[in-house]
Amino acid sequence: MGMTPGGLVSSGRRAFLKWATGVGGFVSALLAGIPAVRAFLSPTFRHRRQEKWIRLGEVDQFDPEVPTKVDFVDTVADAWVEGRRLRNVWIYTEDNENFTVYNGRCTHLGCNYSLDTDKKVFRCPCHTGFFDLKTGAVLGGPPPRPLDTLAVKVEGGVLYAEYQDYRLGVPDKITA
Amino acid sequence: MNPMTIFRWLDERLDLRRAKRDLLDREVPDRLTWWHTLGSATLTVFLVQVITGTTLATYYSPSPDHAYDSIQFLGRSVASGALLRGIHHWGASLMVVLIVAHVIRVFAVGAYKYPREINWVLGVGLFLIVMGFSFTGYLLPWDQKAYWATAVGTNIAGTTPLIGGALVALLRGGSELGAATLARFYAFHVLWLPLLLTVLVALHLIVVVRQGIAARPRDLEVGAPRTTRDPSYPSYYRDAYAASKRGGVRFWPDILGKDAIVSASAVLVIVLLAALFGAPLEAPADPTDTAYIPRPEWYFLPVYQLLKLVPGSMESLVAVGVPTVFVVVLLALPFFDRGSKRNLLHRPVAMVSLALVLGGAGFLIGAAGRAPAEAAVEGGGPLTSIQRAGRALYQSQQCGGCHLMAGQGGEEGPDLTAVGLRHSAGWLHSFLESPSRFHAESRMPAYGPPALTHQEIEELAQYLASRRGRGATDVAPQFYDTFPPPRRP
Repeated sequence: MGMTPGGLVSSGRRAFLKWATGVGGFVSALLAGIPAVRAFLSPTFRHRRQEKWIRLGEVDQFDPEVPTKVDFVDTVADAWVEGRRLRNVWIYTEDNENFTVYNGRCTHLGCNYSLDTDKKVFRCPCHTGFFDLKTGAVLGGPPPRPLDTLAVKVEGGVLYAEYQDYRLGVPDKITA
Repeated sequence: MNPMTIFRWLDERLDLRRAKRDLLDREVPDRLTWWHTLGSATLTVFLVQVITGTTLATYYSPSPDHAYDSIQFLGRSVASGALLRGIHHWGASLMVVLIVAHVIRVFAVGAYKYPREINWVLGVGLFLIVMGFSFTGYLLPWDQKAYWATAVGTNIAGTTPLIGGALVALLRGGSELGAATLARFYAFHVLWLPLLLTVLVALHLIVVVRQGIAARPRDLEVGAPRTTRDPSYPSYYRDAYAASKRGGVRFWPDILGKDAIVSASAVLVIVLLAALFGAPLEAPADPTDTAYIPRPEWYFLPVYQLLKLVPGSMESLVAVGVPTVFVVVLLALPFFDRGSKRNLLHRPVAMVSLALVLGGAGFLIGAAGRAPAEAAVEGGGPLTSIQRAGRALYQSQQCGGCHLMAGQGGEEGPDLTAVGLRHSAGWLHSFLESPSRFHAESRMPAYGPPALTHQEIEELAQYLASRRGRGATDVAPQFYDTFPPPRRP
């Protein structure tokens, strides 16, 4: 490592320049790399779920012990595309004070079940699953778990449910 | 495993030591300045653009229906999304600054002369590709500025003699600016241009390594033949260049260290600007908005402002001609400038040319910067459908670039806020058709066919005739309509 008369190439200067190359390269890579990696991994970060309370109707409009189906249009955010889905829930009450609201999808494979008025059960047409009206328990067929109940609240005489889908075909109620 | 073991294993097979000797340990000329770091800083910013750009692409939809929404989604719902777009935005600007500074440095020290003609030409190609990146990337957010600036940009291409129409169709992927335009701009921005740039950068670097870094001008001037055409010049150059390398300066770390300091500073500046100011996003593109006055990105402002200063009949000549001539001159430069002097102070013509180009561009950017650019606020009552069509033409023909309307627009032409009080629709129709018949010196472009049809001129004239100032609907017009004598057949 030579020393020129002008002192341009001194070992101290070279050591500093080697250090600067390493640090400069490292800092540049971090500055550009961190936002890029964060953005790329962004979908795996936990997002706070937005609560979605659906207005189902006034409490006294539901007949006791006769389940009522409510259809509603749900707005679904698919990244930057907004979609609409037709969804439905079933409401069961005995006293118009306490309500059970079921997600309208069969827990087996997600078909829409319906009310069998003769046998007084919910019946899913796809693979003939049967559910109890009051508890949602499986009475027969392939469904792996009872109907999914939703959180409910009554405000100002109006019934609301918080809509949520759960993973299908598994014995445990896991949010989808 | 021990890293040295891995290195030895690879070295046995790839002769890494020789690669290090040839690339990193190579001797370079003595006393290189900090100006020599601009090229590597440009390359570093390009890498930043690659990293941010590829990530942005994972959240982007190149369709008019979704482009704007996807950008908004990026800013709102993606971690570091806004910062990422800010870095890409400011990185683009800084890349233009760095590449221009790099070109100026190479020009100023005569580094385009023998034996570096090839690398100069490659460099001009790289500059054009970077401008292509700017032009295509600008449209992608699909906001107002993107849409209208691209409308103007493609219209300028349309004024090219002979091939103008075909050129516009080619750029837009059809006659109108729309889905096909966005798709092809996207494809060019993320596929063709990066591929081209990578190939040219690789060649640029290979040539630099083969020829070595340019030495100081004074080391290549003493005792040199008068021109590089002289048969003895190559041997003179070889000896002088070899002598310049006797200081024992090596590429690593003497040059690379400086490069890294400047490059890292550039990246730091970009990230700071991005964090402080972000990237702009205006309202979504609205092709029916007639009040929007577009302005291009700052590095296209010289051409933008130049167009306002020339007579209308010269417009297409200037819009397409000046940039084309500029590029041709740049490409030809090393082949007609064969003097052996390299120091700018010893090259008066080069010095004056550089001063004129830089001064002119600076003056035009400054002048464009002063012109107001906000959306126009109009007075007067509701417009008829013909007047509305005229207003759309006022917009699409960029009348607001030169004329004031209700306090908004350029100041090169007359204020049109109350033009309806001074002129009738009939007079305006004749004037628009051929302004030079009325004023021989007029800089106003002629809009007679084929620029506009008579139907369109009438729409524009009726719209202008309805402009009678703000809230001045009850003032009776006083026409100053004087017609020139009819043209002789």
